[in-house]
Amino acid sequence: MASTVIGAGITIEGEITTEEDIAIAGTVRGKLSAKEVVTIEPGATVEADVQGGSLVIGGALTGNVTAGDRVDLQAGARVVGNVKAARVTIADGAQFKGNVDMDL
Amino acid sequence: MAQARTTNRGSDTRIGGAARIRGRIHGEGDLVVEGHVEGGVTLRGDLVIAEGASVSSEVVEANAVTIAGTLEGDVISSGAVRLSASARVRGNIRGTAVVIDDGARFSGRLDCEFDLPPELGGVSRSETRGRVSTRR
Repeated sequence: MASTVIGAGITIEGEITTEEDIAIAGTVRGKLSAKEVVTIEPGATVEADVQGGSLVIGGALTGNVTAGDRVDLQAGARVVGNVKAARVTIADGAQFKGNVDMDL
Repeated sequence: MAQARTTNRGSDTRIGGAARIRGRIHGEGDLVVEGHVEGGVTLRGDLVIAEGASVSSEVVEANAVTIAGTLEGDVISSGAVRLSASARVRGNIRGTAVVIDDGARFSGRLDCEFDLPPELGGVSRSETRGRVSTRR
């Protein structure tokens, strides 16, 4: 279980920073940065630029994404924005609009 | 570790010890703060400010509120408010019941609405409202 969890009924408007991992099931607007894994659960809504060690996206995300390691878009994910990471996967059933930059 | 995995859990929210939030938190469900929050908190649920955590907010609104960490700001609780021994609170507190444990430090006003017992109030119970004000 992630050290920071934003529950389904909760909305955060502002800036979240953490040295650890974070899981979001609710709504986040603003800016999000974590040193470790960022998990955006199915049903979650994130309107923010997101920076993380790695990202797992199953919900809706609008914003630019930067990961030190990797970004995984799961089936059911809906992402509008640019993704920058060394490794990116987009599962069958994920919706994505934006640029991918694998830093070649 | 970079496993693609999502987990299912309840609607509870926890701000971990290494996390910092600058902004507004609102919504339904319980919230436990172990890290740092600067900004408003409005909850339909219980709030716990754990030992070592700090919250600075003009006003914190929640159901029951338990404070073991540091709070700068007012508390408006629709339930009980408890200040544990390690609590450091500067602000006014309003709740249906307030408990201050030995060792807690509190500076502010206490507004606690409750029904006075009949021998003190005399008026019918439901219409009587008491108010405690303490300033330290």
